[in-house]
Amino acid sequence: MQLGFLVDLHLCMGCKGCEIACKVENEVPLSTWRLRVKYVDVGTFPETKRTFTPLRCNHCENAPCERICPVSALHYIENGIVNIDKERCIGCAGCVMACPYGAIYIDPQTQTADKCTYCAHRVASSMMPACVVACPVQANIFGDLDDPKSNISKYIMDNQGGVQVRKPEKGTNPHHYYVGGGNVNLNPLASHRVDGYSLFNKITTLPVGGHH
Amino acid sequence: MAAHEILAATNAVVTLDVALPGTVWPWLVTVNMWAKSIGTGVIFMLMLLLKKYPEKAENLRFPTTVVAIIFIHIFLLFTLADLHQPFRMWHIFFYPHLTSAITVGAWMATAFVGLLFLLAFLSFVKKDNASFDKVLPWVVALAIPVTLYTAGLMSQCTARELWQMPTESAQMIFAALLSGSAFMILVFGSKLGWEANRSLSNILALSAFMAFTLYMSEYVFGPMKAEEVAAVLEYIKGDGPYTVMFWLGQWIAYLLPMLLIALSRASKSESLLKLAAILALVGLFLVKHVWLMIPQLLPMS
Repeated sequence: MQLGFLVDLHLCMGCKGCEIACKVENEVPLSTWRLRVKYVDVGTFPETKRTFTPLRCNHCENAPCERICPVSALHYIENGIVNIDKERCIGCAGCVMACPYGAIYIDPQTQTADKCTYCAHRVASSMMPACVVACPVQANIFGDLDDPKSNISKYIMDNQGGVQVRKPEKGTNPHHYYVGGGNVNLNPLASHRVDGYSLFNKITTLPVGGHH
Repeated sequence: MAAHEILAATNAVVTLDVALPGTVWPWLVTVNMWAKSIGTGVIFMLMLLLKKYPEKAENLRFPTTVVAIIFIHIFLLFTLADLHQPFRMWHIFFYPHLTSAITVGAWMATAFVGLLFLLAFLSFVKKDNASFDKVLPWVVALAIPVTLYTAGLMSQCTARELWQMPTESAQMIFAALLSGSAFMILVFGSKLGWEANRSLSNILALSAFMAFTLYMSEYVFGPMKAEEVAAVLEYIKGDGPYTVMFWLGQWIAYLLPMLLIALSRASKSESLLKLAAILALVGLFLVKHVWLMIPQLLPMS
């Protein structure tokens, strides 16, 4: 079994329901996120549009975080999920530095690394990840990539040529796919990130783990 | 930011996102690299001096070993201080993951400390110089991977493309040679005589020249290889946040020491050499700090 995720960006409307469901399900502390939806505005008024991109751990087949972790706190489980053992983590933040997707953070309460686990605890009980359940438009498709009859496999088959991953050149082989993505969605260097400017606040950086 | 993918036609702007994480590896890691360079570098220099100038370096065995022990412990202390769960450090030894440069580095550094204490025992308690000289080559051999492992760790940081193993390994070795020779000139130079000081200053000048050349090569040619490198180097160009510190580091660590060493040749001035040594040690910290910080400023997602 190889679990994977696919987000159809044609369907995503940026409601952030997945983000909130994830926060609640996993008790993700304030100022940290396992999953978030990034808004990128494209074009010049009046020819503009807004894109929405949910970003989470990619559960890579060749995960840099797993490789750099000195104590195997980050490890693969049988279904392909890259899981984390917070009791073992020493908080070296090597994984935070190694992840090319910025998907790992230091939990300010436990002072250990944390990230999306595809809700491994729910999956173990045959439930879907919280973000999948919360999505009102079924933009999140989750399932077994090894099973050709799974929804995710069928979706990938149906959208051949339109399925993308983030930063494929890094050789991480992500198990997280996007349909309907473009360079501005998936490449962080393809959009301006103006310091001090976002819709709701002017906070651009937060301290890692609440200190340093 | 110079993200060359951004087109005027798309004018893509991030309008809502979470705040980016601040610096993940802070100045504590700079101290780690700086102290490790000195701790391993003085051992390289001791070996050289004992081979080339045995009578002058006769009494340096124990003091140099003490210097190495002090700086390796500064390195270890700051490594520990940088952990968010420092009391779990023992996990590295009981749950080791050998694909990680951190694990391999921690094990090698521990063995290195053990060998340094053996050297101290042989020179101070047993006063057995013959045994000391037999053990020293093994300590030097281990000092090489100990000083290199941070390069491996930086290269394991996927998407921080500025940090490439071949270049960073060379920079780590040059840093050890530069800081080791500078420290020996500064602390033991007056006991060594002009010839030994000249040899040490040659090493200092050459390692400064090579390190400076590598940085300039990265500065000029790096942006042609990867968009991440191009974006990261913008932080040390123009009015980038680390431009001043980068050039201060290059001048203080490399250019001024090279100039002072050249001037000292004419006058045989040990004072100029000592000044060059102080500048090299101070500048190395700045250079290392800038190179550690700038890839961390890049948004990853």
